[in-house]
Amino acid sequence: MTDTLTYPDVVSLAVPFFIAAILFELIWIRSTGKGGRYETRDAITSLIMGAGNVASGILLGFIAWGFFMVLWEITPLDLGTSWWVVLICFVLDDLRYYWVHRFGHRVRWVWASHVNHHSSQHYNLTTALRQTWTYTFTFMMVVRAPLILVGFHPAMVLFCGGLNLIYQFWIHTEAINKMPRWFEAIMNTPSHHRVHHGRNPRYLDCNYAGVFIIWDKIFGTFVPEQDHDKVDYGLVHNLGTFNPLRVAFHEWVAIFKDMSRKGLTLRERLLYAVAPPGWSHDGKRINAEKMKANHLKRHPEDAGTPGFQ
Amino acid sequence: MPLEILGPLVVLGIAGIALLLHRLGLTAPRHFRSEDDVRRAWAREFPNTPPQDILMSSDAKAALILLGNRAGLTWCFGDDTVSRLLRDHETTITPSGLRIDLPDFGAPQVEITLTTADLAKWQEAMNSL
Repeated sequence: MTDTLTYPDVVSLAVPFFIAAILFELIWIRSTGKGGRYETRDAITSLIMGAGNVASGILLGFIAWGFFMVLWEITPLDLGTSWWVVLICFVLDDLRYYWVHRFGHRVRWVWASHVNHHSSQHYNLTTALRQTWTYTFTFMMVVRAPLILVGFHPAMVLFCGGLNLIYQFWIHTEAINKMPRWFEAIMNTPSHHRVHHGRNPRYLDCNYAGVFIIWDKIFGTFVPEQDHDKVDYGLVHNLGTFNPLRVAFHEWVAIFKDMSRKGLTLRERLLYAVAPPGWSHDGKRINAEKMKANHLKRHPEDAGTPGFQ
Repeated sequence: MPLEILGPLVVLGIAGIALLLHRLGLTAPRHFRSEDDVRRAWAREFPNTPPQDILMSSDAKAALILLGNRAGLTWCFGDDTVSRLLRDHETTITPSGLRIDLPDFGAPQVEITLTTADLAKWQEAMNSL
């Protein structure tokens, strides 16, 4: 068994690159007059959320690491550290990312953590760094369990996760329109991910990919960017605060408020935590399906087009 | 990367970008240009509830949306807008106009600039609901 395997902390090492790329994107936007927007407090909130994400990893990372090492002790399998093992691990971890991300949009408990990544109405490289502080509490580390149980070392799995996160940084931009066709067909790109950040009814709950867009195509959640339907970024009901604490915890507070309402059954309290965002016990709230249906009432001509199929 | 390097790098990076963006004039530039602009902002969040009437704040950064027997609020937020239906809120008169406290952890408070004449119109409209 490979017990003391170490890989570089690639996310920390990428911080200077992140800062340089943000400055480059800003210069590009200012000099060309196109390619996105920046607003001071929005960008600062995003950057503070990113720093908080790193801090929460330092403070709480031992929980996931401990869990992974227990699994590593249990499993009799060890695939070793060959480059092709790392490559397979990267691809499978990206499949893991797809499902965690999909749960992140369809299970409110996980959405409470992921929502802050979508809470900016801007889409620039700082948005990429607007990351959760509360991922540990979603317990989504269990989705990585199969990877470790089949013999990928926990350090390798986390290394691949770090590379995945770094890949996703550059796709948070409006400065790049489309990549070459072959690349758009296989890889997640700025165009595909802009769609994912859209609050337009057409673009709700799609394009969950991390690195390879093929997962969305395989599992039926791919929606291509439409030139006639410009992406409107943010949440269905946008936040009215730049306070990072409110950004980080607002959906957790909302879940607690809903679960502690008077007169609910135990099942209803549970569903407020785990049903898709927008679910309510009396059906009065609006969810993604209702938003799409309402849109089609106003625009029946969109029926059957991407995002409304 | 050691924390002794990462920490200052992150702090200086954030501070530097903040200063640069502010010096470039990118801090909270948004205001409403017209009632149509307000309608578009409201429709972003409530497309099925069109305004019957609109009262703009004196600095054109917020608007009261009248919807018959209820009301909503749209306000400028950074370079963008946010909207909420008004219910279970608290209204306080301030030296510059009104403060509306919302029962929403993600949008807790809105400060609205109103002249004395505009304040009277807003109060009359809100009291008539």
